Formats: sequence, structure tokens, C-alpha cells
Amino acid sequence: MFRPLPMKQVLIQLLADDLPLAALTLAELGMFSPGGGDNFSEQFPDVPGTRYRELYHQARTRLQKIESHITLGPLRPLAHTRVIGEQELATTNAWLGEVWERCSSFEEHFRRLTDEEHMLEQLEQTLDNFAALNFDLSRLRGERLFLDLHIGMLPSVNVPKLREAIALADYLLFNYMENTDHTHVIILGPKGAREQELRSVLDTAGFHALEIPPELDDEPQRIQGDLRQRREALASERAARRQAMQTCGDELRAQLEQSRDRLIMAEPFVAMGDAARNRGQLGIISGWIPERELKRTESALHRRLDGPFRITATTPPRTNHRDVPTYLPVNWLTRAFSTLVKQYGVPRYGEINPTPIFAVSFIAMFGMMFGDAGHGGVIILAAWLGRKRLKSFTPFAICAGLSTSLFGLLYGSLFGYEHLFQAVWIPPLSDPLYMLRMALFWGIGFMVLMSLLYIHNQLVSGEISHALFATNGVVSVTLYLSVLTGIYRFVNTGQFGLLPAGLSLAALLALLAFKLIETQAPPGERMLVAGIETFETLTGYISNTLSFLRVAAFSLNHVALAIAVFTLADMMEGTGHWLMVIGGNLFILILEGAIVTIQALRLEYYEGFSRFFSGDGQEFKPLTLSLQGVK
Amino acid sequence: MNTSAGQTYLKTRTSVMARRLIDDATLEAMLQEPLPRLEGEFGLAGISERGLSEAELNRHIERGLIHSLMQELSILLRPLGGTARDILVYWSRKFELLNLKALIRGKLNHLPYDQIRESLHSLPPLISLPHETLLRTENVPELLRQLEQTPYEAIARQARRVYEEKNESFSLDATIDHRYYTGLLRHARRCDAADQAPLLKLIGSLIDRQNLPWLLRYRLNYALSPSETYYLLIPSGRHLHTDLLKQLVNLQEMARILEALPEPLNSRLSGLRQIMEVEQALTDDLNRQARKCLQFSPSAVTRSLAYMMLREMDLRRVFAIIQGRVLALDPQLIRQAADLGREVPGV
Repeated sequence: MFRPLPMKQVLIQLLADDLPLAALTLAELGMFSPGGGDNFSEQFPDVPGTRYRELYHQARTRLQKIESHITLGPLRPLAHTRVIGEQELATTNAWLGEVWERCSSFEEHFRRLTDEEHMLEQLEQTLDNFAALNFDLSRLRGERLFLDLHIGMLPSVNVPKLREAIALADYLLFNYMENTDHTHVIILGPKGAREQELRSVLDTAGFHALEIPPELDDEPQRIQGDLRQRREALASERAARRQAMQTCGDELRAQLEQSRDRLIMAEPFVAMGDAARNRGQLGIISGWIPERELKRTESALHRRLDGPFRITATTPPRTNHRDVPTYLPVNWLTRAFSTLVKQYGVPRYGEINPTPIFAVSFIAMFGMMFGDAGHGGVIILAAWLGRKRLKSFTPFAICAGLSTSLFGLLYGSLFGYEHLFQAVWIPPLSDPLYMLRMALFWGIGFMVLMSLLYIHNQLVSGEISHALFATNGVVSVTLYLSVLTGIYRFVNTGQFGLLPAGLSLAALLALLAFKLIETQAPPGERMLVAGIETFETLTGYISNTLSFLRVAAFSLNHVALAIAVFTLADMMEGTGHWLMVIGGNLFILILEGAIVTIQALRLEYYEGFSRFFSGDGQEFKPLTLSLQGVK
Repeated sequence: MNTSAGQTYLKTRTSVMARRLIDDATLEAMLQEPLPRLEGEFGLAGISERGLSEAELNRHIERGLIHSLMQELSILLRPLGGTARDILVYWSRKFELLNLKALIRGKLNHLPYDQIRESLHSLPPLISLPHETLLRTENVPELLRQLEQTPYEAIARQARRVYEEKNESFSLDATIDHRYYTGLLRHARRCDAADQAPLLKLIGSLIDRQNLPWLLRYRLNYALSPSETYYLLIPSGRHLHTDLLKQLVNLQEMARILEALPEPLNSRLSGLRQIMEVEQALTDDLNRQARKCLQFSPSAVTRSLAYMMLREMDLRRVFAIIQGRVLALDPQLIRQAADLGREVPGV
């Protein structure tokens, strides 16, 4: 639980023809992470499946694009798995290409319909504009003997340039209406040789001609009717297309789901990348398997592979631990905590798994800051009711609620009422200084624990000097504890004490000496850096400890907020009073719940995690039967 | 970039970086320098030993060039914010537009995925398009639909119109370039008043270098009409202002166009017979202008932009030398490609 699973570096030697089946089998087991293929590039120079990979990627992209138009059913576990050959993959890819062609034409058609609707809107505006003019509109239509005239619209940004450009061909441009990004214009000039020249420029400038219907002068209602009909026609075409798309989706869904299954079965070989190699008929697969899964893997390969194979498993040496993936097993209870830990980073192989410590300390701090039996019950109830949305975070929220309720009992608080039952421990506001002292002790314990974890991690990595002398090493902890002891004695007896003073001084000098040795710089700079870093180690410990005062501060804040709510409620009577109590409690729940979550996370990440793990480990990502493994 | 401390810092930074600019003598020396050392100096170590094809070599070298430039740009961007930062970032988008053109051309010509991907430059996320998504599109309309979901939406919409009307890559390229330079001008106009004038002067020279060769090609090679040629040019050049461009597009011979140019362009360009020569002379002019800005401009962001322009020109010459030497080309040809030993008018 406190350590990542022990891993083995494995090399599977087999026939090159069996590589796809072996990849599929390993993916079914879900316990093999490919890697380290480069180490064998000299003995096994070829990486098979180049065309296979290309086909897979193209087919996968096509399926993804199709899925944005046709919704497929949820992924189901595959009942029978088999190797998908290159020919079958090529056929699937070609078929998906045809389906995508259909979807793409739908998409393009929708885009055109949108453009047409936009054009229609523009035309309506134009006609409204013309209809209001006291002008013979028949003059704007048809061919004229001496005048070349165009009415239309173009993107507004192109208008000034077009005006100047067509002036060179003796044309004039007048704009008569503007809207968001288009301008409506009339262009006119002499008929003759330059008409063609004009058309070419208009095309380049994105000019769209607008037709003036002949009936506009005398039968405006008929025009409006026509436009309405055109709009309805567009809407019904859109609906018909949508229906056609739906029908197409219904027809193809089953086949598409089969294609998806084929791609799922093809993916493991693609995801192998250069971890699967060959030289002629001999092939290898290299990667990582948790030690406890070795036998199961071997027997699964025995069952599926007809050809001979051999698995060699080696324990990674300590010097290679940085390359070993970290596998942190999770269950329904720890999944959400593990997700939050990974937000910070993945521990290196061999380092302590921070998830259990994080889970316990986070939940405890949440309860300490929020303690209220009633609010805890509401959190538990809300988590249970919203379990479908919260998914893996349901146990996380229920634990937080339980902790809140437990501390509520300890503090004697129920929905902010402090007098309904006797506190098992202490109501926070009855002795704030005591609460602050308790928070400090919690902080000291937490910091020491984190430093011990750091020391352990350094010892595991073989970094003994860091375990002893680094910022969170043995010497630093000694310095921290001796200074704290000295301060405690000073407060109680008025004297720092010889032993704490001696230990503090010795630890400080040892730290300084280590920093001087470790810093690579000219002598002056080295002294400066080492001095500042040593000082920073001490102040860092003190400031980080003081940071834990917030645990007590928030428990006091909870009571203070409740007092404010009750003061307001007491100003009202009857229904108003109870509405205020309920509303105020909801306000406390939401506001304080969010703040306390953030503060507890902050303490974990900054005061905890940053002390003992770097978070630069590699997560164990096994091959699985899904469409997730290949980027 | 409005604090005087920030201005001073950036000016100092560009002055220090300006020492990296390469003069002709150093370039001459590079012709003789051992190849492995030369490759190493520019992040291309071992390129001559990998047995790359000519096309692969070009791509690697071009990638090396852009990578170096992007690293230097990121240093200059650090102290910048707001409109000053925007204009430098926008300038660097020219490299992503190369990718965009390669994508569109590849899709128009139905090139395979790998071939198009190989021709793309990898760029920082700040300016990069979602290459993988765009590469996986299956035709130009789909590509343009995807592009409409990116910051290049405006270019994509314009490109779609041109594609639908003309369906060829020349017009698309011209549209993309036009939008880019217009955008550069727009960004310069949004900058603080103190930066605006020097920036517009420098960008004006850059636009002149683009406009004149385009004008000559559109009118003389592609036989476009005066009005369409004018429409495709960018307004607000430094010497080639709007009214002059209107006169020039109506002329039909190269000699007459060059004669009609104002000083100092007229004396530098008159008598040239090839568009390439005109382009080269204008590049020299831009180089001179950028060096002047780098040394004397009161605006730190203008100095930074000038440095980036000069550095790009420099690295192109260096990489031409490396490319020529890896391919074991004739030294004279390499010198020509790296623009060495040519007499620069006015220097």
C-alpha cells in the first residue's frame, strides 16, 4: 500500500509472426507497459508494422470524425478477440473513408445552408432598404446599353481596397448598407472591354451579387412571401438532411461499432511502437510488468501463442529507477485520492506512495477545519445522491462528510448550534489559543512525518548524503526539532537550554558545510548561496509550521460564520428566522466547503508533497483493449 | 512595453544579440571552415553523415533555421507584453503560414499524409496550428472547415472564397500573403504612439520588398489586369505608396515601371532586367533599413523586430552555405546562393 508495486523489466523473445497476437494477449491482461525498445535496436533493427500503423491512425481519425456526427453505443468488453490482419484493417479503413465522405458531404452541405440562410437574411435587409426608397427600382435590373451595374455585398474589410482597385478600371463603388461584417454596395461603370477585368477583381474580393426581384416595385408582399418560402425551404432542407443523416447513422451504427471493435483489437500492436522489433523471423517485445503478474502473463502467452517464446525478467538496478514506471494500485476507496496525488505528480519508482498518507491527512484536516455534525451529514447525503455524477469521487466526499461529522461531535456543533449537545472534546471558540496550539502540534507532526518520508526516499535512491544533509534530511529535522524544543523551553522556563542550543548550532554548521560543498560557484558566490540557503531551510520550516495555524483558524471561522447567521436570524421572526437559518447554513456549506477543500489541498501540496517527492516519476500505463492508448 | 526600464532592458538585449549577426567576411570564412564544426555551430550536427536525400536535407535545414529563430524570439518576447508582444508574435506567424500553404497545396494535389507532414515546420504552440488534425483532413473543404476553428479563421474564410471561385493554389497563396502583411500593418498601428512611427517605417520597407516583385510578376508573368494587381498589393509601403502603386500597375513594361519609381529606389533598380535582381536589390535595401533601426531606433520593439528580420536573412544565407557544402555543390554556386561577393549598390 505504501510503495509502488515491484516491477520487472521483461524481454519476450518470439517469432516475428506472433508479435501482433502477443501484443493483443498482453493488452487483454492489461498489465504490460511497452518500453525500452531502443536498447535492442542493434540486435533487432527493424520495427514492423509501418503501413499497419498508418492504416490504423487514418482509420482511427476517420472513426473519431464520424463519431462527431453519428453517436455510437458505449464500449462493451469484447467477447472474443483476434488479430486484425493488415488486409482487414485496410478494408475497414477504406470503408470508414467512404462513411466519412458521406458525413463530410453532410457537414459541407450544412455549412452551405448556413451561408445561404445568411445570404437570404442579407437579401431581406437589402430589399427592405430598397422598398423604403422613392426610386424606380426597375432601373437597377437587367442589361443596360452603356452602363455596367452590379449590386451585391462583400466583406467590409475589403471595401476600401476594392473601391480603389476598380477605380483603375473606371468603376465607382457606393456602399448603401453595413452590418456586422458585410457591406452592401452598388458598383457601376461604363460598359465595354473592362467588364471582364472587373469580374475577376470582384471574385478575388469575395463579392456576392444580389438579385433585385422585378416584383419589388409593385408587389412587395409577394416578395416577402417568396423570401419566406425560400427560408422555409432551407429550413425543411436542413431538417431533411438531418433526418437523412440520422437514417444513415441508424443504418451504419452496427457496422461502425464492429469497425470500432476491430480498431480496438488492432491498437495493441500499434501501441507497441518500437518496443516490438524484429530481425528476420525473430522478434522481441520489451517492456515492464509488475512482478506479481509475471506468471499470469507467461501462462496467458502459453495459451495463445502457437510458436515458441521465452520471457526474461530482470529486476531494474537502483541506478535505472528513474526509467522504471511507477504502478500505484488503486481501489474504489483510494481512486479519487490517487487522482489528486497525480495532479501534483507521479512518485519515482521506489519512492513512498503518498496516496494513503494524503488520504488520511487530507480527510483529517478537512474535518478539523469544517467540524459540524449536521453539515457532515448533509455532505454524506449529497455525495450519495450525486454518486452518478461524482463517480470515483463519491467515497472521497463521503469520507470528508464522515470526518466533518466526527469533528462536529468532538466540537459539539450541529448546523452551527453549539449548545444542542455536549462537546466530546472542546467547542473551538471556548479556548481559541488551545485550538491554535493543537494546530501547531499537528503541523509539527505533519512536517516531521514528511521529512522522514524524504529521508526514506533518498535512502531508497542511494542518495545518502542528501538523506543526511539536504534541506529535509536528518540534520535539518534535528535543527527543526532542537529549535522547537529550545523555543518551548524558553516560553516555559525562560531559558533556551544547552542541549537544544548545542544541537541547533551543530546542525546549522553541518547544513552550511554541506551547502558549501554542494554549491558549484566561485568562492564568494558559494558563500553567499550557501548562507542564504541554510537560513532559508530554517525559516522555511518555521513559516511552513505557522502555515498550519489555518487549521485552527478555519475551525474558529466556522463558528464565527454560524454566529453571524444566527445573529441575522434572531433579527427576524417565524418563517423568516428559519429561512435565514437554512439559507445561512447552505451558504456556510458551499462557501466554507470550497475554501476548506482548497486550504487542505494547499497544505498537502506545498507543506507536504514538496518536501518529499519530486513528482517526476513515470506512470505505469499498460496496454489495454481500448481506443485510448495511442496518441 | 511602456516602462523606461523595460525599454532599456530590451534595447540592451537586442544590442547584445546583434553581435550574433553575421557579416560577409564571416560568411566567406564559413566556406572554408570544417563542415562538422559549421554544422555544430548551428544546431545541425551530423547532418552531412545521415545520408539524407536532397529534399530531406532542405527540410532539416529549414527546420534548423526556424528553430534557431524561435529560440531567439522567445528571449525577446520575455520582457514584452500587450501590443508590442503581439506584433513580434504576429511577425513569427509567417512560418506557420508556410505550413498552412504546404497543407493547402498538399491537399489540393492529393499528396500522402507523410509527404505533407514532412514538409511542415515544428513551431512553438503559441503560433502553431493543430497540425495532426489538419493533416488528417481528407480534402481542401474539410481542411478549411477545420481551419475555421483556429485563430487563422479569417484567413480560412478568405481562402475558402478564393478556393471556391478559382480553385487553385496561386490565388490562395496570394490571399494568405496579403492577409498576413495587412495584419502586420494593423498590429503596428495598434502599438503605442512612440513605437508606431518607427515600426511603420520598418514594416513599410518590408512591404516594399514584397509589393514590387509581386507587381512585376502579376502584371508581366501572370498578365493580371491593373485593377486586380492593385487589389492584390498591400497598401502603405515606405516608398511605394498608394498613388504610386496605382500609376505603376497601369504600366506594361518592366523598364518603364522601374523608371517610374521614386528615389532612392529608382537609382538602385533602374537598368535591372530580372525580377530576381529587383528582389535582391530590395532585400539589400531592407537589410540596410533594418540595421539602421537596430542601431538607432528610439523604439525597443522596433529594434527587436529589426533584429529578427536581419537574423532571418543571415540564417538563410548560413543555411544556404551548409546546404551547398553538404551537397558538395560548386563553391561558386554556393557563393551565389549565399549572396556572397555581389556588389551591393549604395554601400
